[in-house]
Amino acid sequence: MGAMNAVLVWSATTVAALVALAGLASTAARRRIGLVHLAGAAVLEVLLLVQAVVAAVALAGGQRPPETATFVGYLAGVVLLPVAGVLWSRTEPSRWAGTVLAVASLVTLVMVWRLVQLWEAPGG
Amino acid sequence: MAEAGRGTAPGGTAAGPGRVLVAVYAVFALAAGARAGVQLATRFAEAPVAYLLSALAAVVYVVATVALARGGRRVALAAITVELVGVLVVGTLSLTDRAAFPDETVWSAFGRGYGYVPLVLPVLGLLWLRRQGRAAGRG
Repeated sequence: MGAMNAVLVWSATTVAALVALAGLASTAARRRIGLVHLAGAAVLEVLLLVQAVVAAVALAGGQRPPETATFVGYLAGVVLLPVAGVLWSRTEPSRWAGTVLAVASLVTLVMVWRLVQLWEAPGG
Repeated sequence: MAEAGRGTAPGGTAAGPGRVLVAVYAVFALAAGARAGVQLATRFAEAPVAYLLSALAAVVYVVATVALARGGRRVALAAITVELVGVLVVGTLSLTDRAAFPDETVWSAFGRGYGYVPLVLPVLGLLWLRRQGRAAGRG
């Protein structure tokens, strides 16, 4: 996976999926989000930041994916997503806060795998 | 505390399920914007019409996001209607006239590259605005 570390990618995938499930569960249970959701989002954010540093080091070391600009854009976007999701869901006083967080987590998950794809894409 | 803020309160379109809608619209505003930006900056000459439509999609998503978030029902209604027409027209054209649409946009093939969310989103948006309108009418 090059600059995309397999352990980090799979950890982020797992945590993002768990946060999404927890978010949907709280909506289904008509509850607001709790500490579990925030902790999960925080763990996800840390994993993404570490992955971003790993990728930045690889880029600085001269490794380049074919579409470098797109890759960097996704990398910058993905670290902002859990933060945006938490901020946007925390101000929602209803059970829908969990779904908001689930959307942010699922988009994060998709973007992480887009990053893997972008890095591995054949040159040209 | 459930379902607070629904109805005629300012920003009612951004409360409850509307908040989820705003989140999804924001994601598409970013995705479409970034995509259109790259297309216009790097290969505009290849397919100007397709890339301008791509940029239009981005603008529509941005306007819809802001309008829904701030409770501007009329602007939201206009933006989402344009979005629905856009995804249907561009979706059809991208399948029938492939030469004019050499590169994917968010609306290509009815948003296939994005799990068809671009096709479902305006329908959900219009349904949500209609429900909001009814709630406001009663209140």
